[in-house]
Amino acid sequence: MARRAAAAIAAFALAAVAGIASAQTLARLTVESFVLAADTNAPQVDVPFHLILTLRVRERVTSVENLNLPVLAELELLGDERETTSGSRGTEYRETIAVVAHRAGAIAIGPATLEAVDARDGKAKEWSTNGLTLHVAGAAPQTLKDGASAIEAGAIVFARTLLVGFGIVAVVVAAVLLLGRRPRPAPIVVPPPVTVEAPVRRRSPQEQAGDALVVLRAERSRPSAVAVRAAMWRMVGAGEGETLGDVLGRRDIREGTLRELLIALERSAFTYDDDLPAAIEDACGALERFIGSAG
Amino acid sequence: MTSARTPGDLRAALAQTIVGQSGVIEALLLALLSNGHVLLEGPPGLAKTLACRSLAAALEGEFKRIQFTPDLLPSDIVGTRVFDQRESAFATVLGPIFANVVLADEINRAPAKVQSALLEAMQERQATIGPQSHPLPDPFVVMATMNPLDSEGTYALPIAQMDRFLMKVNVGYPPREDELRILDRFAVADTQPVRSVATLDDVRRWREQSHAVHIDEKLKRYIVELVATTRDAQSVTVTAPSGATLRVGDLIEYGASPRATLALAFLSRARALLDGRDFALPDDVRAVAPHALRHRIGFSYRLAAEGLKADAAIDAMIAAVPAP
Repeated sequence: MARRAAAAIAAFALAAVAGIASAQTLARLTVESFVLAADTNAPQVDVPFHLILTLRVRERVTSVENLNLPVLAELELLGDERETTSGSRGTEYRETIAVVAHRAGAIAIGPATLEAVDARDGKAKEWSTNGLTLHVAGAAPQTLKDGASAIEAGAIVFARTLLVGFGIVAVVVAAVLLLGRRPRPAPIVVPPPVTVEAPVRRRSPQEQAGDALVVLRAERSRPSAVAVRAAMWRMVGAGEGETLGDVLGRRDIREGTLRELLIALERSAFTYDDDLPAAIEDACGALERFIGSAG
Repeated sequence: MTSARTPGDLRAALAQTIVGQSGVIEALLLALLSNGHVLLEGPPGLAKTLACRSLAAALEGEFKRIQFTPDLLPSDIVGTRVFDQRESAFATVLGPIFANVVLADEINRAPAKVQSALLEAMQERQATIGPQSHPLPDPFVVMATMNPLDSEGTYALPIAQMDRFLMKVNVGYPPREDELRILDRFAVADTQPVRSVATLDDVRRWREQSHAVHIDEKLKRYIVELVATTRDAQSVTVTAPSGATLRVGDLIEYGASPRATLALAFLSRARALLDGRDFALPDDVRAVAPHALRHRIGFSYRLAAEGLKADAAIDAMIAAVPAP
């Protein structure tokens, strides 16, 4: 639970940091596709799998800024690999995020977002990928059953290995015979990407607050509160180094549930340890009221 | 039974009497809660005396005013011993420093010997008259003023002595609407006395509460970073009236001392308490930072030569350090 929550916070903080950058400069890009996929639609509990974020732009760029990863509240983040390939037809940015689920059931993963200036019309926009819903299957079958002797278990493993080995050799020989060339390593099976029309609608503040609420409920700790505060500040367009006074001084935040939310998050980020549970509870309540204020 | 009176009540009571000087009121209260002293710089006629007198009255405390002049002697401040002919013995007469709220008016008009006597009393919270030391009342707040307009015949306070003041506040003219209120209120009658809203015991209790206000680790690092920036501000820039961009580090001879770090923490805690909180926020630190830093940084001649004010450089340094 703690590891999962920590992963959620890490992803959330990553998103927050990316957001700070977005307030500064936006790249001018022609987004051709922006897709989020998984290497499996039915991952298993405690078996790592990959989320693959692919962005294709017409320009040749060496890096992609202002890209916000989705909140992975129910997955543990294991690693993150980025690859940028540029050519005459533009650039493909591919980010592979290794994750693992620790419980069975449906997991909804929100979209990743990209903020950039649309080279087509010169306007600053936010693109979103598709979201994903994964159905995590129960625990993988155990190789060693309780009570089985080590010899019996060893024999089973040996027999299975032998069987698999014969199978692989047979497949390789068949492939060589059929194709007349050396086999290549099997690529990761990725579902065909769904091309999203750009730009996609901007995620509403209430949706972002919903993500924050998931994180804060999953891990009621100071780092979590600080990460949520950073994300909400990004949501209201606060820049790096601004204080609560600066943000509340703005015309659109002088009253209402958003003001209440920002004050509650400030308390949860800076209050003393004994007051932290109450402060986080207060912040969760403020988030709920803010989400409910949409209607 | 504990008293429900808060520092906020005191601020509200003072605000009813003193118009257009909320900054001075807040500075006085912050110093009171932090057990420190205030240096005020501003032209005459800005209700500095009224603020001091009102504060003492609101606390049922004693107020004394000392007008500093070139011929003032240390004994005029701390007191002296006089021979009592009837008793045939020396008796001690305590000076005006023995009060809860002391206004040291135009402190830079007295020579260094007198300034030292006052500043030593401020630091030690006691005054020595003849062979005997006398503790000063508790609470004890000195509010010293300096007039920036008339510097002829003045004795500049050494930096080491300026450092004894917890904060330095620049007092400006009130805005027009406040000046209209001043006109309405005081043109026909003298000032209305402030009613007593708290006691000296309340102040001592508030001080304890202020010391207990929580400062998060992130805020502590922010405070240290702010003070460190005053010592190495090469990466901070400020724009001169001529349009030239200058490195603030080139305008500073020496930065703030660790006493500034402590002052920032004390004042941030006091501001949080004044606001009704038992934890400090980045806003508290940033609000008090100019007051805690401006008299602790030594600026070079270049600052004035470039037509810049010290506060512009300080503001640039504060803005350069991102709040947590």
